[in-house]
Amino acid sequence: MMSKLSLNNVAYKYEGTKKNVLKGVSATFEAGKIYAIVGKSGSGKSTLLSLIAGLDICTSGKILHDGEDLKTIDRDVYRAKKIGVIFQSFNLITNATAVQNIILSMNISGSPENDKKQFTYDLLQRIGIDRETAARKILKLSGGEQQRVGIARALSHNPNIIIADEPTGNLDTETEDDILKILTILAHDEGKCVIIVTHSKKVSSIADEIWGMKDGKITRV
Amino acid sequence: MYIIYNAFQNIGRNISRNILLASIVFAIIATTLVALMITNTSNRIIDEYKGQFGIEVTIERNTQTFVDMRQRGEASMGITITNEQYIAFADSNLLQRSVIMNGTLVYSETVTAIGQTGELTTGHGYAIAPTMQLQGNNWDDFKNGHRVLLPGGVMPSRINESIISEGLAELNGISVGDTIRLYGVVMEQAAAMGFVPAVYNLVITGIYFCVAESVSTWGSTTLIRQNEILTVAETMPGAQVIARYYLYHPSDLEAFEQELRVKGLHPIFDVNTDEHLYNAIVGPVEGMRGIVMTFMVVVFILGAIILILLSSIAIRERKYEIGVLRAMGMKKAKVALGLWFEMVIITAFCLIIGIFAGSLAAQPISNRLLVQQAENVQNIQDNLFVGRDLGSFSRVVNDDPIIEIPVSLGIYTLLQLILISLFLASLAAFAAISKITKYEPIKILMERN
Ligand SMILES: Nc1ncnc2c1ncn2[C@@H]1O[C@H](COP(=O)(O)OP(=O)(O)OP(=O)(O)O)[C@@H](O)[C@H]1O
Ligand SMILES: [Mg+2]
Repeated sequence: MMSKLSLNNVAYKYEGTKKNVLKGVSATFEAGKIYAIVGKSGSGKSTLLSLIAGLDICTSGKILHDGEDLKTIDRDVYRAKKIGVIFQSFNLITNATAVQNIILSMNISGSPENDKKQFTYDLLQRIGIDRETAARKILKLSGGEQQRVGIARALSHNPNIIIADEPTGNLDTETEDDILKILTILAHDEGKCVIIVTHSKKVSSIADEIWGMKDGKITRV
Repeated sequence: MYIIYNAFQNIGRNISRNILLASIVFAIIATTLVALMITNTSNRIIDEYKGQFGIEVTIERNTQTFVDMRQRGEASMGITITNEQYIAFADSNLLQRSVIMNGTLVYSETVTAIGQTGELTTGHGYAIAPTMQLQGNNWDDFKNGHRVLLPGGVMPSRINESIISEGLAELNGISVGDTIRLYGVVMEQAAAMGFVPAVYNLVITGIYFCVAESVSTWGSTTLIRQNEILTVAETMPGAQVIARYYLYHPSDLEAFEQELRVKGLHPIFDVNTDEHLYNAIVGPVEGMRGIVMTFMVVVFILGAIILILLSSIAIRERKYEIGVLRAMGMKKAKVALGLWFEMVIITAFCLIIGIFAGSLAAQPISNRLLVQQAENVQNIQDNLFVGRDLGSFSRVVNDDPIIEIPVSLGIYTLLQLILISLFLASLAAFAAISKITKYEPIKILMERN
């Protein structure tokens, strides 16, 4: 099986700071598997996901996607088509509606879907957002609802890699179960590579592999 | 084309900020339109005026130059412009038109001049003092309506045909078909006294009515305009020629002067354009155009600065939104295009109401400004008095200043406005775009967190 992502001695330092947040991270993430990344707050989990998401490039080391260095490829296209990100802080356009957020994302990705609106409603339905809620502005949604819109957006363009930063942090157990079910299907049945940062035991329990982050380093647990 | 669609949605999402932007854009557009309409109409009217009348050239003796040259022995008393020169000067491609007239002072034993108090008097001891003027080709007053030919007459078209004023006709009981005899002199260097007598037997073909001519009896009766007997130039060969030359453009003056010098015009004569007249008529329009242009430039620059500032402040509030778009993989160029579309849509909206408002405002503004300008020019004119040798041949300011121009919105003005608006929109968008492009998506997102 082809290796989806491989991290090779990745180091990263935020601009204007002295200390490296990531200090030589090496790991491999494959298609068809669920990975859980755990670790203390501030250990660098979100930072690592940002790099995997192609939001920035590492200070040293390499991240390869299907053998190609993220440094050299068009990361806009990579973000738009190859990867779906569920952000810890949602990162939705707050004065637009849930549906508008997702359709916009699909448009950016160049999604071939004909009826994007219907598709979006169906997608949101699957993760427990009804039509009325879907037509509301993000600002007027609860934290859990916003999180679910974020999840729907990450899935809307059918990416091969899904990375999720605490995707169930704001959800009740019932919804959490639904989401985890969806993620499991995506990985195990549809062959996607799913990487989840989490503090939750329940989430870790569905993972195929668990990695722990500590002081900017990562180790297989 | 989801970018345009999204731009529309974004405008609605930030409605209060966009209303602020729009009102500034609207103010600039409306002002610019008024200014453009007035400027373009003014330009057209000035061009039309030039095309119709040309710019009159004056050739005048410069006394100072004469005195200077005389001291150096380079000029003598007798320097003049000959009739032949006057006629030769008219032969130029730079001239839109020229009028060659002539005139001489005359007296008659049978026709009593208006204002003449007694018998003919002798002047200077040897000749009879003239009482009237015989003028050749001086028809301008008929064109501008200051003189009107009375019914039953025709304008002189052949040698020895003439028309006289109603006053002169009534005073002497002259009617159409009568013949009058006038005496004058023609300058001739070779003659013993420097002139020879001339006799004109003229058939009266018509009588003209003077709309507004003073009958003041101050000075010689030859200065009274009703004592002007009008004929064709050929009636009095050898009489003093008076020529008027009209250039197409004031800028041709230098070239025209050059031609005149080659044709032998002496340096003691200055060649100028008749700016008094030109200013009297076109001055108010030009004055208004100047004010309007200045106003437009000021409003445009101030407006543009405010717009740029506002737009860069507004984009700071939207950094997060742009970060999200970039994180979702939207290319910088497309984000920029989206911002540009937003500005263009706002501007297009402002353009529509701006055109409406501007068109309504332009005419009243123009009228107000023109009246003011005309008053200014009138004040200057009132303090001027220009007189020349043969009294009534001097150009009377008989064209009134333009005090109303029909301001209208032409396709050319509209195009200019659209281009300016597009430029404005791009300027504002660029102020915003320049701010976003220097960030990697992660930084834009981080700054909010
Ligand atoms: N924009 C930034 N500039 C500078 N330092 C940052 C920035 N963002 C995060 N850091 C620092 O980098 C380190 C790792 O942060 P990161 O967000 O990756 O932690 P995390 O493991 O995701 O924590 P949590 O579990 O609380 O989400 C922290 O010490 C944090 O203070
Ligand atoms: Mg985190």
